[in-house]
Amino acid sequence: MGGLVVGWLGLLARLATGGVWIVAGALKIPDPAASVQAVRAYRLLPEAVVPTVGQLLPVVEVVVGLALVVGLLTRTMAVVSAVLFVAFIIAIASAWARGLTIDCGCFGGGGYDPDAAEKYPWEIARDVALLAGSVFVAAFGHRSRWALDHVLFRRTPLES
Amino acid sequence: MSKKNRAEDRASRAAEARAAQQRAERRRTIRMATIVAVGMALVILAGFLLTRALDTSKDVSATPAGTSEHGVTVGDPDAPHSVIVYEDFLCPFCGELEGATRDAFERLAEEGDLLVEYRPFNLLERISDYSPRAVNAFAVVLEESGPEVAKRYHDLLFDNQPSESGPFPDNQDLLDLAVEAGADEADVSEGILEVTMRDWVDAATAAAVEAGVQGTPTVILDGKVVQGGPQDILDAVLEATA
Repeated sequence: MGGLVVGWLGLLARLATGGVWIVAGALKIPDPAASVQAVRAYRLLPEAVVPTVGQLLPVVEVVVGLALVVGLLTRTMAVVSAVLFVAFIIAIASAWARGLTIDCGCFGGGGYDPDAAEKYPWEIARDVALLAGSVFVAAFGHRSRWALDHVLFRRTPLES
Repeated sequence: MSKKNRAEDRASRAAEARAAQQRAERRRTIRMATIVAVGMALVILAGFLLTRALDTSKDVSATPAGTSEHGVTVGDPDAPHSVIVYEDFLCPFCGELEGATRDAFERLAEEGDLLVEYRPFNLLERISDYSPRAVNAFAVVLEESGPEVAKRYHDLLFDNQPSESGPFPDNQDLLDLAVEAGADEADVSEGILEVTMRDWVDAATAAAVEAGVQGTPTVILDGKVVQGGPQDILDAVLEATA
């Protein structure tokens, strides 16, 4: 792939994944009780950590999203983003496989949802697409356009 | 020094300078990355403290067990421990909680260690009107046939809980179950079939919302919210009363 294409595609992937994280997290921050409930509804984590995860996730989502959008520690943040998407895909797939009918709680909400079963495949497809974007940024993010990293970690030209 | 040696010397000095510069650059990069990472961690910590403060799931101020007008109690009112269960007859987690805790709660109540109060209310009307109809039927039985029959009726309603996707029992089914619980059909049939205690249902629901109940089941052990699955809640009660 040419450097130019990689640069712009990297920017696009950063804006798409980062934008989704910001929206997803920002919608949840005002109501952590609902976020905790959404985490609990998956019935995957022990109760001892459920409240902490429910309170922490929205914040992490917003920070990772902002970092991706502005291009701060781009590749590391893309790895974090990819790991989160893998976790969410596993969680949704497992809820589906166990016959739970819950709202994924991806953008707030959560808990029982009578139409959950028909939404699961779309939610997983969306997360797979965003995972692909994250992996792309993790691989090529250092070459993406308009990243704050380029300013902070400017390479001084070697004297010859 | 030969000409060749001088050239090699210059080259090696230049290489050394380049290496030194690369080392300096690496140090600067690491320092900058550390600063940025620490900054992010601080932002996340601050945000976490904020969301933790905003989390209202434990802020339930329920009237003490045995004092509500919208519940049925089991056990000695002076028992050293109390459990309040806010529940909806349609909520599957409430059904699971019932299955996991009923026998233990009854035993603890019998032994005088625990006062249990069940407070059914209407949370899930958006899913089906079974939810308010069932609470109405419960209220009718409580009023007409007394708390003991109402507790048995409450148990039977959960034993025969419909799925959230239906089909839902109609009022005649609710009446049949009330008779099975020990209610006199003549006393409760009009109230259940005509849904005459809707006001009671709405008052019970308003009281639960007022107390800060956000979902079902909400379990309050000795005045404090207990969270988690049925087993977590059972364990907490067993531990408190041990």
